Amino acid sequence: MYKLMRANVVVAAIVLTLSATIAAAVEPGSPAPGFDAPTFDNKPIRLVDYRGKVVFVDFWASWCSPCRQSLPLYDKLSGEFPTSDFAVVAINVDENAADAKKFLAEHPVKYTIVQNPKGDIPKAFGIDGMPSSYLIDRDGTIRDRHVGFEPKDIDALRGEIAKLIGAPAHAS
Amino acid sequence: MRRDLRTFALLFIGLLMAGCATTPVQPWERGRLARWDMRWDSDPMQAAAFEHAHFSKEGTSGEIGAAGGGCGCN
Repeated sequence: MYKLMRANVVVAAIVLTLSATIAAAVEPGSPAPGFDAPTFDNKPIRLVDYRGKVVFVDFWASWCSPCRQSLPLYDKLSGEFPTSDFAVVAINVDENAADAKKFLAEHPVKYTIVQNPKGDIPKAFGIDGMPSSYLIDRDGTIRDRHVGFEPKDIDALRGEIAKLIGAPAHAS
Repeated sequence: MRRDLRTFALLFIGLLMAGCATTPVQPWERGRLARWDMRWDSDPMQAAAFEHAHFSKEGTSGEIGAAGGGCGCN
């Protein structure tokens, strides 16, 4: 009996050690994990302040090559919807802010970007690839999750946003 | 004595296994791995040329992608 118990304890310890390293991704239908992070100008941004708008959250980094294509396209997309209905909040995960600033100098965008070098926000979202993006509805519920980026993804995303805000996009 | 030894052995194995359970590099932590100086090849064009010469001359089927018969004509 004692032996069996000890074996169980050992097995449980191994399982716990291994499972502690796996973080589950936040799936569509779940509430978006809230965050509070500064922009590069040290302005605090909270996700909860965007309640009532459809929010597109994009995780990016200067070393992520698809981000060279996605950022300019998301910038264009953000201008296609009224600011009262839609916002893009990008989360930069670069360890070194200078790398992100250099990237932004080459690929300037108008939407809000917050910095999260510690990576606690992507951890809370449980992202499993870079870049990753989440479409959050007016109530703060995740409606769509996307990993990776290809330029053709923009059209589907535009449609999803239009459906969520209940109004079609106007061409810019 | 024997029981102590067994407990010690179990603890030791447990610790060894815990050592293997390193936290995997998360997708947002790959900045350093993505650096140019972390590449396997210092020069991708030179590496491609070497690979081409290698599989052409050696004819090592399947070693680096597709391979020819060693004629050097592919």
